[in-house]
Amino acid sequence: MLKTSIIILVLFLFAFGGFVLYDLATAKKRKEVYRVKSSATAYLMLLPAVILAFLFILLPILYSLGYAFTDYYLLRPNDINFIYLDNFKDFFEELATKGTLYNAIKNTLTFVIGVVPLQIGLALLLALFVNRPGIGSKIFKVCFFAPVVISLSVTAFLWEQILAPDAGGLLNSLLGVFGVPPRDWLRDPKTAMPCIIVLSAWQGCGYQMLIFLSGLSNIRKDLYEAASLDGANWWRKFWLVTWVGLRSTFVYILITVFIGACRILTQPMLMTGYMDHTVTLSYYMYNKGYTERWVGYSSAVALLMTIFIGGITLIQRRMFREEK
Amino acid sequence: MKKLLKSIFSMMFAVVLALGMTACGGGTGDGGEGDSGAVDSEGNTIVKIMFHVDKSSTEGQAYQKRINAFNNAYKDKNIKAQGVFKARSAGASGYETELLNNQLEGTLADIITFDAPNTAAYAKSGLLYDISSLISAEEQAKFYSLNKYEGKLYGLPIQESSAGFYYNKKIFRQAGIDVSAFSAENPWTFAQFKEVCSRLKAHCEIAAVDMRIDATKDETAPYLLYPFIYAAGGDFTSGDGYTATGYYDSAATAKGFQFIKDLISSGYTSYAIGPTDFFTGKVGMYLSSGWTIPDLDNKYRDNFASRDDWGLLPYPKDVVAASATGSWSYAITNNHHTDKTAILELLKWMTSAESSKAITDATGMIPARNDVEKSYQPGSPEYTLLKQLELSGRERPVTVAYPTFSTTFNQVIAGLGNGDVSTLLTSATNTLQTEMNRLKNLK
Amino acid sequence: MDKRLIKNLPNFKPNKTPVKKTVKEIIYHIVGICLSLVFLLPILYMLATSTKSEVSYAESIGTVNMFLPDFANSGTAFENYKSVLLNYDIWKYALNSLIYAAIVIVLNVLINGLAGYVMAKLRFPGKRFLSFLIIFLIVVPVETSIIPLYSIVKIMLGLKQQMSVLGVILPAAISIFNVFLFTQFFQNIPKEYEEAAHIDGANTLGVFVKVIMPLSKPIIATVAVFCFIGVWNDYLWPSMILPSADDGSWPLLPIQTALISIKSIEGITTGEIMASLVITSIPIFVIYVAAQKYIVQGFGTAGLKM
Repeated sequence: MLKTSIIILVLFLFAFGGFVLYDLATAKKRKEVYRVKSSATAYLMLLPAVILAFLFILLPILYSLGYAFTDYYLLRPNDINFIYLDNFKDFFEELATKGTLYNAIKNTLTFVIGVVPLQIGLALLLALFVNRPGIGSKIFKVCFFAPVVISLSVTAFLWEQILAPDAGGLLNSLLGVFGVPPRDWLRDPKTAMPCIIVLSAWQGCGYQMLIFLSGLSNIRKDLYEAASLDGANWWRKFWLVTWVGLRSTFVYILITVFIGACRILTQPMLMTGYMDHTVTLSYYMYNKGYTERWVGYSSAVALLMTIFIGGITLIQRRMFREEK
Repeated sequence: MKKLLKSIFSMMFAVVLALGMTACGGGTGDGGEGDSGAVDSEGNTIVKIMFHVDKSSTEGQAYQKRINAFNNAYKDKNIKAQGVFKARSAGASGYETELLNNQLEGTLADIITFDAPNTAAYAKSGLLYDISSLISAEEQAKFYSLNKYEGKLYGLPIQESSAGFYYNKKIFRQAGIDVSAFSAENPWTFAQFKEVCSRLKAHCEIAAVDMRIDATKDETAPYLLYPFIYAAGGDFTSGDGYTATGYYDSAATAKGFQFIKDLISSGYTSYAIGPTDFFTGKVGMYLSSGWTIPDLDNKYRDNFASRDDWGLLPYPKDVVAASATGSWSYAITNNHHTDKTAILELLKWMTSAESSKAITDATGMIPARNDVEKSYQPGSPEYTLLKQLELSGRERPVTVAYPTFSTTFNQVIAGLGNGDVSTLLTSATNTLQTEMNRLKNLK
Repeated sequence: MDKRLIKNLPNFKPNKTPVKKTVKEIIYHIVGICLSLVFLLPILYMLATSTKSEVSYAESIGTVNMFLPDFANSGTAFENYKSVLLNYDIWKYALNSLIYAAIVIVLNVLINGLAGYVMAKLRFPGKRFLSFLIIFLIVVPVETSIIPLYSIVKIMLGLKQQMSVLGVILPAAISIFNVFLFTQFFQNIPKEYEEAAHIDGANTLGVFVKVIMPLSKPIIATVAVFCFIGVWNDYLWPSMILPSADDGSWPLLPIQTALISIKSIEGITTGEIMASLVITSIPIFVIYVAAQKYIVQGFGTAGLKM
């Protein structure tokens, strides 16, 4: 491990050096001026962060991505062999059987498509709701944020009780009043994923609400007043002033919520366990890597997932740039 | 000011740099420190033993006491045992990660504890030391179960567990059901079980029996429900643990699962039973392991004032009788200490009748050995569990692919409500067989 | 334009009568309270359960009583708290967590703040590579990297138990996301501030400490709060890296690992577990409520462009 780490360090320094030289060579073309002293200060000030990030973030990630090309079995840390692309071959073979992996991808996509608009929408509505002076809205703001800080195991247990099947569940007894027949929300393939989507959005939206609020606080008040003077109604004011002002905040939230949603793991793990109708890609990866101990294969899934998320994120950023 | 800032910064820089240096240089130097099997300054051979529990827990304290006693007894022979406690945490097993990293660093303890279903995987990976020839046949016969893989002995259980059906005597009296004829020696049959459920159903608010079919997120459901399949004459894997096809999807296995499905479709049990419904008197029977005994004795005095209010029934039998067993075990590891003499002394000490009694006295579980003196009243819950273990205890399938078995078992149980047994079993068998094939190819 | 000015304009017609406005206020607050209840469910559940005996808890499950305290036993409402505080050394673990959090916050703000400042304000070759790296590291899933991370930390710190505390603190001291936040925030600080300081003869580090940091209270508060929540709620990693408590000596483990072991103690009641959860949630709430204003400002000024 030590030797490989040093090799990676050398490679990293080479890569960095290469980019430095490239930047220097193209400096003129980009009308950029680099000063020796300020560059040296910059490197020095970056050093603590770079050393820690290299050791504790980059190195572990590179290792785990590197394992993607090996047959690393958790119980055999002394016997790791390169098997080139075999793990990826296994991945696509498994995908072709339309088994758990296929479901995991399907469920992850369902989750992303469901939770991204719901969570962002909820966050925006809550932000608009509390974005006014007064003690009431301040207290509401704290309340809406509460699920973010409560341990997920508590909220998961609570939701399990709410969504419990038959008359034992709170939701079922509530719906029973309106004559809706009880359901087994988390075991029913039709409702399980929607429930997890709602739960996740409820749990997380307080955080995005705060970010939206900060975006709202940056919108100049006189724009609203000008719009009022023009006789704009609430909807037009929202569309012309608020929405335009929140654009960059929105893109930021879209990207972060999207990345978080792609990596959904804890909620299905705590709520349903490893079931075909709720397993997600991260959960699949976790199960393969830790429970079934195929670290190599699991890392290959992680690598593919990274490429996928990275690709979509790049497209999202590109889209935003063109619009700007 | 400028100078001050400069010096602060250079100090920070130095610290970070020094840490970076440790990262590059400190890897091998520390290897010797605390090395197990090493000889300390007083000439004692150190034997390290690693436990999966917190040192401050009751169980941890019991282990520590036995280690202290060992150190007293072996003072003259210059052997000193050292306990390492690493509580296993939920999720990604911190305990297993620690184990593997120690193996990688060459600091693996001489004796470890491990969960019995891991025997095959650990043994195959060379983590465990073959103790077949070190433990005499006579000694082996004293254990209710042994951790064997491919005919070789790799571990000895710390303690044993068993499970059964706790029942609410008040509800049974109301329903006029007499179960006094059923005991571990004379278990009830599948048919009798169903009959009791059908008569019980009307007297229970939620369901007749909590079979824990909702507990499919972890090992609970597999541990409690696998005996039903054995009882129906079914099986999960071949003897070598590499074939599931023909076992997991056999007709007899399907019959066992069908029995559970029938209980669901008849409304005798359901996924909707809450974790405490038995304790509040809404459910008549509750399938659980021995650790529910202290709960019923202490926690729910309002509903269960004394043992006149609750009892324990064995697993029902069909073709054969079968009941749940299994717990954590000790094993000698395959670390770099080739001389296992001192280590073996400690293993023998920890698995002795005396240790076995001391530890089960603390945990309330069943001793792993049959020569431990037990003073259970015949008919008491403890007695039923012990007798059942002796007569019909059967361990979970021994296979390297155990984690996958456990997952697929959970999926089948969770799917019984809506799915059809043979479809569920076909899919489970395929998944398990694929995993087995992959593991077989692992050199 | 000033608000008062608009009101005084002749064509400004207040479209709400005072009564209508009061009704609107009342509706607003009713809706707010209902919404708040939905979000407060887990807290209500925790608080309610923490006052209950095992039996009354068991009876409340699946009914609305889950969220209501046990009025019948109001005299014994704090029994669980008493037993948790007296029987288990929660406060020791809580103190550990507070100390870890304090160190992590200081290191995190300094190290990531410096990096963010460099990325936002200085020109140097290789910057585009580092910007790319930052985005890359935010995007990649890290679920599988805990195995190599464990090995790296073990190799780095050796096997001495005392050093293992560094294994908790150092990896938490770096956060790529915080570097990103700081970068975004510093980009919005006008150049003029630094230029003025530079003219006064301050060097780059001096500018950072004397000019930038004082202007950055909101983002520092934001980072500090999320660092605190992170350290306070983390349990998997510390439980892997720290030795478990030996008899008598001060434990090194943080609060969440203590909670996990409390949960597995034989004979503990759900009420006691919830009481310990309530106790350990208090610091997070206090800190969050205190810093809330800054968090909104912090994100706001950062502008947050990906």
